[in-house]
Amino acid sequence: MSNIAGKAYAMNVITPIRPYTTWVNKFIFWIAVKIPGTLKGLITLSLIHYARWVIIGKDQFPHLDPKQPKEELNYTYMMFFSNFNGSWDQYVDSFTFAIPGGLDLFWKWNIRYSKSVPLTPFHDYIRYNQIETIHYYNAYPLAASNDVKSAKTVKSSLIKFEQDTRNVSGDNFLKLYNALLRGLQHDMGDMYPTPIVSMSAHQVERRQKWHAANLPEGGAGPTGGTAPKEAHGHSAKKGK
Amino acid sequence: MTKQLDLLDIQGNILRAYGRFGYPVARYVFLNVRNTAKGREFVGEITKKVTTSVEWGDGPGKIKQPDRTVNIAFTYQGLKDLGVPISSLVGFSPEFASGMKGRKDILGDDGPSSPEHWDPIWRGNRETREKDVHIFISLNALAGQGLDWLTVAEKNRDDAYAWLLDEINKTEGGVVLLDGHLGDDDANLNYQDVRVVLDNNGVPTPKEHFGYTDGISDPVFEGVPYDERRVKGRGKQMPGGTWAPLATGEFLLGHVDEAKEYPPAPEPILLSRNGTYMIYRKLHENVATFDRYLEEQGSKFPGGKALLAAKFVGRWPDTGVPLVKAPDAASNAKFGAQLLSLNAALNAAQKKGDKESVKSNEQAIDDILSDFTYDDDMSGAKCPFSSHIRRINPRASLEMMNEEGDKPGSFKVSKDAFDTPGALANRRRLLRRGLPYGEVKDRTRDDGNHGIVIMMVNADINRQFEFVQQQWVNYGNDFKAGNDKEIILGNHSMDDNFPSKAVIEADPDSDQPPYILSKIPRLVVTRGGDYFFIPSMTALRMIAQGVIDPT
Repeated sequence: MSNIAGKAYAMNVITPIRPYTTWVNKFIFWIAVKIPGTLKGLITLSLIHYARWVIIGKDQFPHLDPKQPKEELNYTYMMFFSNFNGSWDQYVDSFTFAIPGGLDLFWKWNIRYSKSVPLTPFHDYIRYNQIETIHYYNAYPLAASNDVKSAKTVKSSLIKFEQDTRNVSGDNFLKLYNALLRGLQHDMGDMYPTPIVSMSAHQVERRQKWHAANLPEGGAGPTGGTAPKEAHGHSAKKGK
Repeated sequence: MTKQLDLLDIQGNILRAYGRFGYPVARYVFLNVRNTAKGREFVGEITKKVTTSVEWGDGPGKIKQPDRTVNIAFTYQGLKDLGVPISSLVGFSPEFASGMKGRKDILGDDGPSSPEHWDPIWRGNRETREKDVHIFISLNALAGQGLDWLTVAEKNRDDAYAWLLDEINKTEGGVVLLDGHLGDDDANLNYQDVRVVLDNNGVPTPKEHFGYTDGISDPVFEGVPYDERRVKGRGKQMPGGTWAPLATGEFLLGHVDEAKEYPPAPEPILLSRNGTYMIYRKLHENVATFDRYLEEQGSKFPGGKALLAAKFVGRWPDTGVPLVKAPDAASNAKFGAQLLSLNAALNAAQKKGDKESVKSNEQAIDDILSDFTYDDDMSGAKCPFSSHIRRINPRASLEMMNEEGDKPGSFKVSKDAFDTPGALANRRRLLRRGLPYGEVKDRTRDDGNHGIVIMMVNADINRQFEFVQQQWVNYGNDFKAGNDKEIILGNHSMDDNFPSKAVIEADPDSDQPPYILSKIPRLVVTRGGDYFFIPSMTALRMIAQGVIDPT
């Protein structure tokens, strides 16, 4: 189990709402989507990949097979799902410091919601209602969302630059090249492994690597086992 | 400021950076407790001499400024071995319990900064019971007024040290002085000496060994009477570019913090209130590498060497004026001239005892050095995103955005996006104490005895110090800089295949390219340190008497 893969953290939180106040939440979500300004704080927090809030009615939970026992639910639920870069604390704290009003608006009608300030009751509320991630795949473990956005910018800028400079003079080329660099000056950060998220996460990862490297696979001899390709791309680990 | 702190209960080194109050010399001493009862008795004796935060002067509620200050702090093991009960100990933070060495992977203390290269005292710490650092005592010495200012200060320090040795001897081995501080020529010393850096004429300067002015932007928080006028640029940035003092609980336990709650703290409340955590870190400065790198890059950098040196830190080395205010040499010279005449006026006013004039001149100096925001430099064209001061204290600059249609490579304030402009910075602030150590005798060598002992004070080591160190010094995502590190303090790569670099941004409206600072070498190396708890006077007396009981 890990909520962490590479530089990303997956958070699932599911909290109950009284069925007769569900419409209030739906209305607030509708407003938030209609008036983009309400989400400005969330968008400015660049560590967040995305955040999604969904209302699940008490009869809407999956019932996959007639043999699956029917659940008797008393509440509607709000599911919050987000991926972000950094640690749990960093994320929840950024939320609380930056957009406490927005959080309160979205969670206000949830049962026993504490308000986002002061911090500790809010931490407890999220922790208590968080569902741990059992499986989490990350295709680009070295990339934070800013890195992905930058990479896309760099790529499109380079393609455009190549097209624009096919027939220009040397002086003009330099001018356009300087402009290219200037335009990309906030997109040129190095991309190396993440700073470790916590000592416990670090130790889990080290144990996993130890097992991967030391335990033979599928009955191969003591030295014959091949270590699975490292999921977290630490081949570029620095400073060792 | 309406809040009134109990200054008699708070140790003086929390509220005062002694260097700024006329104490240019200090000695730090570390002790191991061998006998609990004698250890407690020792703490009791020291406590009688501990310097509090009470105001100095002649008025009511003030005392005469002391010739020397005494302050004391404890590691987790120190508190344990002095008999603080486990029910109280579990209330301290996990990072305090594990100590700086145990947190090296978070702090990025790798390569030459890793614990096997630390001074012997810090290598031995937390390995065996007999070598554990338990108690920290700092002795700061007041300078004389005349030409013999340094001799007077050194005598004050030596007197204080003699007194301390005497107190240690009285414990008959119950408390042991630890050696293992490396001094000149790797001498093994019983203490860590620190002193302001002197210029060629022996005059004290506010500089560290690379040549930068240090300690300007120390946070200002609610309830410190002698900081009221220093809030601009040092408190928290409010809408409209005004400033307010930070909440007391960011720096003192038992007080409400910026999240409107009491920071996590051990029980009983008498043990924690008015106490706080201190991070002690000895940082060696590779002056030869610094000079060589600055020379090499400065010859290529379009603005020249002096401007590049300023770009590393965000302030001009000669004046301390921030780049945000003085983006070029001409404007720096203008502010430099202003500072010279203001300092002359300040000196004259101090000699005359003209308090009003002292105040107004201090204020004017402060306005130049400290009162600024990044609102007009959101793209980093003046002060680079990876420069020291922007990374350590980004003020409101992380409330930034680039929208469709904005100039490429530019950022602007994401107005009203956050509840308060400094939302992402206000809970990451650190009080910075400490002084440089050693002397640079040969600038062509890295290996002399020179650096800085920095002591940072905060209510939450993990949220404040460790966060800044890990996320802002050794990583750059919050600054849209990927893994690029802070230029001066970053644990720059020792691997030639993955060299460190940083971007010195250009003005998006200009026709200049940004400058890429390539292959940044390791400029600063960790030589040891640990996490300490600075108790209140009340808590000190309780520790000494052995009466701590959270039930």
